[in-house]
Amino acid sequence: MNLARVFTVAQREWREILRDRIYFLLAFLLPVMLMLVFGYGMSQDIENIAFAVVDEDHTPMSRDYAHHFIESRYFSFKGYLPDAGAADRLLARRKLRMVIVIGPRFAEQLRGGRTARIQTLIDGTFTTSTRTIQAYVEAINLAANAEIRAGQLARRLGLPPQRVAALMQPVVLDVRYLYNQEVRSIWAVAPGLIMLILMLVPPLLMALSVVREKETGAIYNVCSSTITRAEYLTGKLLPSVAISCINAVILWLLATLYFGAPFKGSLVFFAVATLLYILCTTALGLLISLLVRTQQAAMIISLVMSIIVSIQFSGLITPVSALAGANYAFAHAFPAMYYNAMVKGAFLKAVGFEVLWPQLLVFVLYASAVFFMCYLLFRKRTRT
Amino acid sequence: MGQAALVAAAEPPLVRVDGFVKRYGRRSAVAGVTLDIRHGEIYGLIGPDGAGKSSLMKAIAGVLSFDAGSVEVFGTSLVSEAAAELVKDRLGFMPQGLGLNLYAELSIEENIDFFARLRLVPAAALAERKERLLAITRLAQFRGRPMKHLSGGMKQKLALVCTLIHEPELIILDEPTTGVDPVSRRDFWLILSEILHERGATALVSTAYMDEASRFHRLALMFDGRVLAEGRPQELRRRVPGVSVQLRAGRQAEALARLSSRFAQVQALGAWIHVFAQDLDAAAADAEIRALLDDIPLDEMSSTEPELEDVFIASLHQKTAAPFADPASGQSFAAVRPAAADGAAIEARDLSRDFGDFRAVDSVSFSVRPGEIFGLLGANGAGKTTCIKMLTGIIPPTGGEGSVGGIDMRRAGRAIKQRIGYVSQAFSLYTDLTVVENVRLFAGIYGLTRRETEDRLAWTIANGGLAGYEDETAGSLPMGLRQRLALGCALVHRPQVLFLDEPTSGVDPVGRRQFWQILFHLSRVEGVAILITTHYMTEAEHCDRLALMYAGRIVADAAPAELKRRVAEEAGGLLEISASPVLPALALLRGSGFTDAALFGEHIHLLAADADAAGARLHQLLSQAGMTVGHIGRRPLSMEDVFVHYVTRLERGEAMQ
Repeated sequence: MNLARVFTVAQREWREILRDRIYFLLAFLLPVMLMLVFGYGMSQDIENIAFAVVDEDHTPMSRDYAHHFIESRYFSFKGYLPDAGAADRLLARRKLRMVIVIGPRFAEQLRGGRTARIQTLIDGTFTTSTRTIQAYVEAINLAANAEIRAGQLARRLGLPPQRVAALMQPVVLDVRYLYNQEVRSIWAVAPGLIMLILMLVPPLLMALSVVREKETGAIYNVCSSTITRAEYLTGKLLPSVAISCINAVILWLLATLYFGAPFKGSLVFFAVATLLYILCTTALGLLISLLVRTQQAAMIISLVMSIIVSIQFSGLITPVSALAGANYAFAHAFPAMYYNAMVKGAFLKAVGFEVLWPQLLVFVLYASAVFFMCYLLFRKRTRT
Repeated sequence: MGQAALVAAAEPPLVRVDGFVKRYGRRSAVAGVTLDIRHGEIYGLIGPDGAGKSSLMKAIAGVLSFDAGSVEVFGTSLVSEAAAELVKDRLGFMPQGLGLNLYAELSIEENIDFFARLRLVPAAALAERKERLLAITRLAQFRGRPMKHLSGGMKQKLALVCTLIHEPELIILDEPTTGVDPVSRRDFWLILSEILHERGATALVSTAYMDEASRFHRLALMFDGRVLAEGRPQELRRRVPGVSVQLRAGRQAEALARLSSRFAQVQALGAWIHVFAQDLDAAAADAEIRALLDDIPLDEMSSTEPELEDVFIASLHQKTAAPFADPASGQSFAAVRPAAADGAAIEARDLSRDFGDFRAVDSVSFSVRPGEIFGLLGANGAGKTTCIKMLTGIIPPTGGEGSVGGIDMRRAGRAIKQRIGYVSQAFSLYTDLTVVENVRLFAGIYGLTRRETEDRLAWTIANGGLAGYEDETAGSLPMGLRQRLALGCALVHRPQVLFLDEPTSGVDPVGRRQFWQILFHLSRVEGVAILITTHYMTEAEHCDRLALMYAGRIVADAAPAELKRRVAEEAGGLLEISASPVLPALALLRGSGFTDAALFGEHIHLLAADADAAGARLHQLLSQAGMTVGHIGRRPLSMEDVFVHYVTRLERGEAMQ
């Protein structure tokens, strides 16, 4: 292997990437864009839901009830409305997502020991968030009920309210969420996105850069010269890997600083794992580029492969252990699944080399095997 | 160089190809080619697209495997990829497609450096060679300019420099001159000759232009995967005995029909008729033609030695027993309509078009009468296609106006589009549809009735020589037939104005002649006004009138013969000089005031006012310098000479300002 020739190929490639505006945007803007779009899109946390209250009762009790919602971190109180008609208009204009209507005889009914009815109006256009809002409302209502009932009983029995509360709820469920204490989904999504984007972009860039040479005929410069196959392939691989490493750093910064995901593990482990993962995915792109002739084909094949593998078979949405039979085996044939475990481990569990070293070994073998396949497939003297 | 080639003949050949066969899947690309390339020569492969030139060159360069036969380069038989690697150090290969193999974002210098480092050229040698080659190609002042901003001629020269930077002993250039303007082409041949001579290297060069044959020391005429003829250009011309006759007669269409009944190769060139009288000498040809024309008045007639294209077609007739379909035969010329109406069918007035800062078309004016064939001649990027696009209303002009049938194209709606037919450069057929389906589709687009459609379908099949191909898909047709089908589709609604954008690019000479025959018929018999663009200089002779385009401008506009006459008047006749050694002779002549002297293989061409006196002076000049002078003789001016003359005059004028 003559390093001068490897460097020559790599340097030329690097210059072209930096100067070709479209390729440059593809290389550096696409990953950031994907991170932001998917980061917001895939996060299932719903907070600060705009809501308002129509209080037709105007009693301390009705204000007390409304206060349960106003205090919640999930809701953002926008004020009191005079009537349900105003609520309708604001809901239609999407200024509000939820409205609580407290009827005129709320306090009276409660005092009389009867059931008071509260109306909640929820914007149902987005089913997932609607269900989440409904669940929040029900939970808060439950808490309010318990408090009201405890108050009533305490007064009737002459006991302190805490005591009554304990009597009413003999078993209290005390949940502690591990690794993601606040169960914020962006914490879990952001590391997953690093996996997804590094599965998507490096193969795309790599495949395009080789096929482009095939299309223009520049590949003949290589084929008709004395550079060896391994030198050329290495020279092509290096700039792509370098771009992806830069992107990995940017993505890590976005995940931790912008999305606020915690990073509990070892940075060294994360860096090594990411580099190896990038080598694997870039080598896959190289493999694709040697099998197709046009940039369109290279783009479609690499995107379809990446999307299917990283979304369905990586554990991003469905855990791999839940896949059956062939799907389970298929997931194991791509690096995304292993990296998904590593990146989550590094971010949320502080798991490092001591647990995940076999996966790193898999990456080394994987990248070497794919690269060797590329070496066998790439011919300087072709049939067509 | 001539001597060098002769001496070298004793040595073993540098490249030996024997029984070479290449197939792509079931399709045969090259079917048994045998040839030798000797040390120090420029060997040419001439043939149309699909003749097998590229496959053969790639195999010799060691980048393409083959199916049978042997290829030996520098004594190494290229039996495997590993064997091919052994010779790659000593050869340079430039693939087809002008500058496409270069790196668009890199500057001239970075491109050169890349190629050099890929070949491990030491830094000191690189620096020295780079300066020398940049100086020869006059690219030095542009060294920092990105490749994507270079003109066609500059890209071609840069590609050549990149191929030569590791000083290969054999260079293989695949169609280096296609689409390049004639001035750059001349430049290219000179640079190539100088470099090869200086280094004693050998070149294998392919081209689709028949008129480039005289640039080679030896050449092979290729067609359909076979070599039709091989040898030195002069030998090839003599291989098929006969004379080439140019004549001008009244009732041109009728004269053409009568001559076609006797001679296989008859074609109309503007107002002239060109006949290749095979197996006849000048006197016999003269007598026979006069007898055939009989009562048709003959205005002028002269005969010359045959062109290579005549020989090519005659060889084809010999090798392939089946005669070529003659699409226009059987047509009655009785209904000849005189070029009817007055007024211009197509008119351009100060037409200009800018793309950003770049002025693609610069104040172009011309007009085309009904029944006239008007040619726009120029290199790739000269502005021909942009002109057509403005005249057909596809893009609006930045300035000036273009009108068809007296209607301004910017305001013209559907009505005008019914009146024009357009065959575009790249795409005008649906390649997955059959011949019949294509015609029906176009008929449907133009809203023809069922009866009209059947009528035009029959007309297209008959006139396009497409009988027997009705159910073939357009994509599977040979180039020549495909272009005739495209023409038929463009004519389906009987337009009175026809725009053709490089319709004959890549078509073989036989196909081109048939295509022109149809155009001739359309213009003379049906009175259609035709505007055609081409970068084949020889093809320009078919036009009634010609506009030479260069860098967005029209540099001359007249009948081809008139253009030649004007050049002869301004600069004199064309002299061919054979002197050896030829390169120093060329340098001497250029230094002695003959700045337009150009190298054609082993000969020098130049323009001289008083040919006889100049001949004597040249003889003296060369002899005094101790050079051997073979012969000095007159040659007819070619369209390329005309083009080069006008462009260099224009450039000189600009340089003085």
